[in-house]
Amino acid sequence: MKKLFLCTCNGTLNKLLDFTRIGKEAKAIYDVVEVADNLCLEEGLAELEKGLSGDDRLVIGACSSQIIGVPMKQRIKNDLVAFVPLREQVGWVHLEEGESATNKAIVLLSDAAVQLDYMESQAEFTENMVGRVLVIGGGIAGLKAASDLHRLGVEVTLLEPFKLDKHHYLQTSVFMSDADTLRSEIQEIQKTILDVERIRGEIREVRGQLGSYEVTINGAKDGSMTQEFGAIIIASGNQQSLPSSAKKMRYGKSERVVTLDSLISNSKKKRAKDRSTILVAVDFDAPMSSVEGSHLLRTTRDLAARGNTIIVVYSDIQTEDENLYREARDSGVIFIRGRVTRIKENDKGLSCRIENTLESMQRDVIADRVAIPRLIGPTIETTQIAEKLGVECDDSGFIRTRYSKMKPVQTSRRGIFVAGGAKMPMSLSDAMASAQNAVLEAFKIVRSPLVRSGWIPVIDDEECDVCKACLDACPNDALRLMDDRIVHIPAHCEFCGICVSACPTRAIEFQSHSKESWFARFEAIAATHKRLEGKKPFSLVFACSECANASIDQAGFVGKQYGTGSYVIQFPCAGMVSPIEILKGLVVGANRVIVAHCPPGGCHHQTGDHLSELVVSLTRDMLREIGQNPDRVRATYMMAAMPDKMQKEVPVRG
Amino acid sequence: MDKRGRLIQKIRNIAVQTPTHILEVPEKVEGFGSINYKPESCSACKKCIEACEVEALDIDLMVQLPAYLSAIIPEEGFRSKNRETLISLLQILKGEGDVQAIPVPSGLSGYGSVVWITEKCIACNKCVEACPEDCLDLEKKYDLPTIIGNVVTPPSISITEWEPFVICFVCWECSHAAADLAGLMHLHYPANIRTVRVPCSGAVEPIQIMTAMENGVDGVLVTGCLLSECHYGGDDPLAGNFMQQDFVHFWQSVFKEIGLGGRLHIDFASAAMGIRFAEIVTEFVEQIRKIGPSPLRGKLEVES
Repeated sequence: MKKLFLCTCNGTLNKLLDFTRIGKEAKAIYDVVEVADNLCLEEGLAELEKGLSGDDRLVIGACSSQIIGVPMKQRIKNDLVAFVPLREQVGWVHLEEGESATNKAIVLLSDAAVQLDYMESQAEFTENMVGRVLVIGGGIAGLKAASDLHRLGVEVTLLEPFKLDKHHYLQTSVFMSDADTLRSEIQEIQKTILDVERIRGEIREVRGQLGSYEVTINGAKDGSMTQEFGAIIIASGNQQSLPSSAKKMRYGKSERVVTLDSLISNSKKKRAKDRSTILVAVDFDAPMSSVEGSHLLRTTRDLAARGNTIIVVYSDIQTEDENLYREARDSGVIFIRGRVTRIKENDKGLSCRIENTLESMQRDVIADRVAIPRLIGPTIETTQIAEKLGVECDDSGFIRTRYSKMKPVQTSRRGIFVAGGAKMPMSLSDAMASAQNAVLEAFKIVRSPLVRSGWIPVIDDEECDVCKACLDACPNDALRLMDDRIVHIPAHCEFCGICVSACPTRAIEFQSHSKESWFARFEAIAATHKRLEGKKPFSLVFACSECANASIDQAGFVGKQYGTGSYVIQFPCAGMVSPIEILKGLVVGANRVIVAHCPPGGCHHQTGDHLSELVVSLTRDMLREIGQNPDRVRATYMMAAMPDKMQKEVPVRG
Repeated sequence: MDKRGRLIQKIRNIAVQTPTHILEVPEKVEGFGSINYKPESCSACKKCIEACEVEALDIDLMVQLPAYLSAIIPEEGFRSKNRETLISLLQILKGEGDVQAIPVPSGLSGYGSVVWITEKCIACNKCVEACPEDCLDLEKKYDLPTIIGNVVTPPSISITEWEPFVICFVCWECSHAAADLAGLMHLHYPANIRTVRVPCSGAVEPIQIMTAMENGVDGVLVTGCLLSECHYGGDDPLAGNFMQQDFVHFWQSVFKEIGLGGRLHIDFASAAMGIRFAEIVTEFVEQIRKIGPSPLRGKLEVES
């Protein structure tokens, strides 16, 4: 049975909307219509539970699903439920338009009734996870990850590169922390991983998926070995190199030109009479990370504190701690924004010409030494590992993570994480923290079988042309080509539906969201709108279920008013929208179609924001070409922190 | 360059006028044809491109809106359902004005169309077989104007004393014996021919005919066994001489288009037909005498 439960939100919503009329209209499309005063409270939930049997399909016309969804899910076992946020998306945002607002509520409820017709139970999967975790890299982050996993009782294999020189590692990692701290930290960790399996070798091949990655390793001793791992942590670190400008700075030609790091280790042994003038020439063109910047400030501060005269010629310095800059200045470090254009060696020392780009003037300085800070980049191993594992790298070759704030250690492939300097130059504490984070993510995967549920893409082999458009589109490596057919990997799927948008043949349909269901829903909306509002224009907002939907709900919470005749339709991800849905929207009579996605680069499924922009751009091009106004269709981003977005998009009706 | 490329190059070399007609390809002639492509039902799956061994097909990242809007969707619809829906929606929304193809935004998969490169195609039908959407078919038409392009007519020649020079391909079995018999019988026929013995008339390749023309001969004669009496296939429709008859007809139409009409001929004589062989040669040489020297002689003169 199709049942509708309306909630008056403690007798407030019925002051804004005509519940009598809504109820009367709803009775025509629902088998049962109930009105409660507080569905989200204990008594309301009890009433709801009492009024339902197991196979009922249910629509909740109340507040946002984000509010009532959670307590309801704990009480109600029915999984065929649709939510109509009468409060956030109707009542609270159309305060001045009582009658039209009621009409909108009825339109949305008629849409929800159609939605129920097409709704399927979510698919459920249980997959066993291999308990062992592979940690690649023997630096501080790798050791820390292996140690923490071991402490958590997880079986670990620590894969270290063939060439691992501890002394060299310590020497080149001083930017992370001072050498003593680093050394003692490593010694401490080493003690905790005596029982951990450690092998020297390199990755030859990786197959499989989250929970069961089959890794073949070329070992030093036993030839190659293949083993299964539930998760993989990449901790291949970074390496330092001289900037391309080093040669111009006479590095290698003059003994007075040295790297900055060599200066610190040497200067400790020297006495006060060796005080000298040191010019630090930072590469003008290479971008400097905040870790590199902090290291630069720390070392120059220390050198200046020992009585040296330090001149730093720089273009841009970022630092993790503003105090470092102040301390460096207080110790007497002189900062000149610009670049060193020429160095000549004479009896007195090095005559350096500095082009001061801030004051547009040149200056000559005589220095005893010129010090060049080295640049930090990914190790060669990182590039090789990324290629073997099929994870993406950023422009500078560091491992790319999915979402810097929410998924800081997740690589582009599920079940593979990055810890420490393989992601970007990190200080010791950051590297340790990222290792801990990666360990927790890996631990979450391997500790128990993976149980997931969600609507998934269903592939019809008969219809499929194996054009691989879905493979290209899937941001999660959840579709693969096996034996000349497309196979869905549930463990990797994020239920976004982007693959469906790419399919030209309709060989992939997303559960509960078939093309036919969208068409039926748009038609229901258009028909009900026409019956209640006549010729008044309306617009459809295709909102992604993450940011855009949250923004629209938020508009309700803060009472940002916008026009009625604006019907929000939730898509799992905006990337699921194809030109077909947009054009259908126009065909059924919508004046405008707005596709709302997460902010650029902030898509919860990686590419949905970008793809939906492309889809809208293609649709607009097509409309322009066939003589329609392309401005009827637009893509925009919405986010919860911007509750006025809806108001901007739909300022007035239609 | 592959064999097809060399052949087309040779045809370009010998062409003395710009072809204007699309040619019918006779029934038994294989390897020459046109691919008809219906972008409206294409899912851009690239199966045809993968199947094509001569790289005569390529993906074109364009949405062929004109074809979409003029498409008639069959009752049972296209196999490619999403394409079908897209097209029917676009047709409903069509407003005023002309429509052009538009590019697919870079990075968007699932769209595009296929381009067919006429001169590379060997009409092998593999793409048609590979297409899951039934949007390709092979037509027995040869788009000579597109392939040959514009031809610069060579300078006319003024030869005062001229004797036709004809290459005559004779098959190993009957027509060579017929030529021998003509000799034994002391029959007289013009001395303008030079015979080239081939295993079967069906073994004469177009590139050989073109090469002869390229070198300035005034006509090419192909002779074989009597029809239905080919030693390689007998009365099978695919026997050597049956095949070559169609092929020669095809090349005759090509010759006509490129300004060499009447300079290629095929005829048949059995081993017992010495008289007939002499007649064939006499008639063809007379014909060439009437048409005059090959216009390519002028071209060759200029080049030398």
